[in-house]
Amino acid sequence: MQRKLMLGFFSVLFVLYVAGPVLWLLSSSLQQESEITAVPPNWLPPNPGLHNFTAIFTAGDSAEYANRGLSGFLPSGAANLLPSLYNSLQVGLWVAVLNLVFALTAAYAIAVIDFRGRRATLYTVLATRVIPDIALVVPLFLVIRNLGLINSIGALVVTYLAVTLPFTVFILISYFEGIPRDLYRASRIDGCGHWGALRHVYLPLSLPALVAALMFAFLTSWNEFLFALVLTQSAAAQTLPIIIAGFVMDFTTSFSFVNAAGVIAILPPVLLAVLFQRYIVAGLTAGAVKG
Amino acid sequence: MLARFSYDDRSAALLVLPVMAVLLVVAAFPILYSFWVSLHDIVLTRPLRRPFVGLENYWRMLGDARFHTAVLRTTVYTVVTVGVTTVLAVGVALLLNENFRGNKLLNTLLLLPWATPSIVNGLMWKWIYDPTYGLLNAVLLKLGLIEHYRAWLGDPDLTLLLISNAAIWKQMPLAALLLIVTMKAIPDDLYRAAKVDGATVVQRFVHVTLPALRPGLMLVLVYETMISIRHFDLFLIMTQGGPGDASYTLSWLIYVETFRSLRFGTGAALSYLLAMLTFLLSWLFIRAFGERNG
Repeated sequence: MQRKLMLGFFSVLFVLYVAGPVLWLLSSSLQQESEITAVPPNWLPPNPGLHNFTAIFTAGDSAEYANRGLSGFLPSGAANLLPSLYNSLQVGLWVAVLNLVFALTAAYAIAVIDFRGRRATLYTVLATRVIPDIALVVPLFLVIRNLGLINSIGALVVTYLAVTLPFTVFILISYFEGIPRDLYRASRIDGCGHWGALRHVYLPLSLPALVAALMFAFLTSWNEFLFALVLTQSAAAQTLPIIIAGFVMDFTTSFSFVNAAGVIAILPPVLLAVLFQRYIVAGLTAGAVKG
Repeated sequence: MLARFSYDDRSAALLVLPVMAVLLVVAAFPILYSFWVSLHDIVLTRPLRRPFVGLENYWRMLGDARFHTAVLRTTVYTVVTVGVTTVLAVGVALLLNENFRGNKLLNTLLLLPWATPSIVNGLMWKWIYDPTYGLLNAVLLKLGLIEHYRAWLGDPDLTLLLISNAAIWKQMPLAALLLIVTMKAIPDDLYRAAKVDGATVVQRFVHVTLPALRPGLMLVLVYETMISIRHFDLFLIMTQGGPGDASYTLSWLIYVETFRSLRFGTGAALSYLLAMLTFLLSWLFIRAFGERNG
């Protein structure tokens, strides 16, 4: 009985702590500007509505925008939100897909083949993540500019690819190492080369790790801020975090509108996390026990 | 020529080539180039003169008062963030490791902060801390803990802790997940034996759980320290180093030096100092926690 009470008490605390802030954001996003500026605040929206979300999705529509006039509290950059959402999706999907293509072969080689320089290769891959991002921003900017990619989706895809690949390779290696070696030997005896063993043995068996890797690559790209801040300059390539950060730092922006943008930015990663919870947890903790 | 290499060597080279190519161009080269930049006096407002100055950028930054402030702020922020995150994560892991109804739901909820983009995290807490309409003021007033509304982020004594709080909220889940995995690996026999010996709940935690958690704790400490010491997003979106220099951390100093003053040389030198500090700390943690494992 005492145990039950304790568990119940701490569970409630936990839920309040973890979900409380997000629920408050959600509640604010469903209120009008006049409602969220009430003192004391409205805990729940008095007249819940999607007007802030409608405003975001119609901000590009110039006639509608002009009609809203002063009462709308819409920042001038509001029209960039929808394109940035699209940019974020595009970058995330490209990075996720390219991650698999690149990391699969490398992870197979490092995990399965006993080749010269195997350890050196592994350490080189992992070492690239030790330098802080902020140290890479300037030289990366110069590299990207020389590649002619500044202010393009490509700049972000290439950069995030480099950011996410080490982790993807790492997850896949630890998964591949768990696949019985006999399967590999059998496939080689059956006449498979390395390419064949990868395609017919390792690829079909590693679906959970692949899903986890896809998720991480997408989420990292979706959430990344610093590189996007430096490598993109206009709505043509800017991602959602950049546009939202611009609103937050602009004192004239109404919080009801920004909160709605925040909710939109939270939704895809949270949905993915819930749907693929099992894979994500397994991927995040891969190698944690082995040390 | 190729015949000197075995089939294995040749296949492996081909298979790792794409990853190595990307990392070489977008990671390894910038890292080395950044070091070259740190040895030169490069100021973007004076693009044609960029003399080699050796380690002078490093010495100049090491003697700069802003650097000293930044090291202090970064240390406070990191110690608070890592410390509280770890303690909270141990608590959460203990809770979620128990078997009870609703446990699954709580495990799913745990991923919510983890999945939240850091910019939205910053926006969310800035809104909670809002001086006139924020949740924090309303709750504290209702509980009778404050008598009137306060501008939380405007208080130099609190700013760093409040930013830290936002970071802890987002970072705790991963730490808890890592600890839960380590806890699940502890054999039940150990607990049963301790129970037979008459150990209380607290004794079992101190003498069975904690020692077994050591590898997990080490991982959490190293990982959280690496994240916190270089954290940038929240500082930009919540305070921009202010008020005054209350949240002027190393990453913020690097940003200001590089992108506001356009002094790339000293900016790069600072980045390397930060990287070295990160290495040093991880090494210390691994030594302190790794050794007794044997």
